[in-house]
Amino acid sequence: MELNPRMQPRQIEFEGMTPEENAVLNRAGLLLGSLEQLKAWARSNSLWPMTFGLACCAIEMMGAGASHYDLDRFGIMFRASPRQSDVMIVAGTVTKKMAPLLRRLYDQMPDPKWVVAMGSCATAGGPYVKSYSVVKGVDEVVPVDIYIPGCPPSPPALIYGLNLLQKKIRRDAGRSVQGA
Amino acid sequence: MLGFLKGLSVTMGQLPKKKVTLQYPEVMPELPDRFRGVHRFIPDLCIVCNQCARICPTDCITLSGTRDENRKMHIDTFDINFEICILCDLCVEVCPTDAILMSDTFELAVESRDHLKLDMQWLTESEEEYEEKYPDRVPSLDAVLGEDGAEVTE
Repeated sequence: MELNPRMQPRQIEFEGMTPEENAVLNRAGLLLGSLEQLKAWARSNSLWPMTFGLACCAIEMMGAGASHYDLDRFGIMFRASPRQSDVMIVAGTVTKKMAPLLRRLYDQMPDPKWVVAMGSCATAGGPYVKSYSVVKGVDEVVPVDIYIPGCPPSPPALIYGLNLLQKKIRRDAGRSVQGA
Repeated sequence: MLGFLKGLSVTMGQLPKKKVTLQYPEVMPELPDRFRGVHRFIPDLCIVCNQCARICPTDCITLSGTRDENRKMHIDTFDINFEICILCDLCVEVCPTDAILMSDTFELAVESRDHLKLDMQWLTESEEEYEEKYPDRVPSLDAVLGEDGAEVTE
């Protein structure tokens, strides 16, 4: 008899562990699972994005950080260094010349890290989709968690995307923490 | 010391002023009438003239239609690749029957690029949502439908 897959406890991937160790840790379930959820709750409420403005989307990103929309309300504070940040908001057109630098900055960020592709240029090339020099989507260079379409997306659209990322971080750590 | 107090007086002067922050996720921002969000589509109005697909600067619109026994064109598929759509409003401007319009939906962030390929069903649902939100902006279908609701056949 097979259990309903939705009734089975969710398998959590613990950081820096092999699949065998993960299986053992998952058997410990309740305690370590709650710890992961607590960590995800803390992380999702203090996302520090790196300022990665490449084009006009950066203006909207700055607008979202300023007092009218105020990203600080969500614990999102822009950092100027990859070493201090855990989210990269790729805001703008990534050219083929810029792509290796983007990858290097991504590699310099400490784990855990997430990437938000903001605007149609970062998502798929946007208006430069037929250009010889533009990367057709930043997911060719780094793994992307959230795509925000728009040209450029307005600050509320960016806030919606970042809230979606917070939900994703909590969901990936098992059940979402209530009241977060 | 004087400079320090001068700076603090600016800070203190801001305190009694009205707060400017919009409480976005709790309170929706007030958008202008002509705000360009995602498209909405009315299949009954479309005459498959292909003008929207031809004017699109990024070629993100693909459509196809068939001709019925009265030599009238009917839309079969209408897809917008929203990954590369730049919301320039040109398709709306050229549409002779106002079959494609802009809605005010901006909450479009997704976790996969596949969800950004919008088909006719998605766009029609977008129109239904918009009509529910603004009942006073429902377009008149008199151009294609007669007064008794039956299709005009010439």
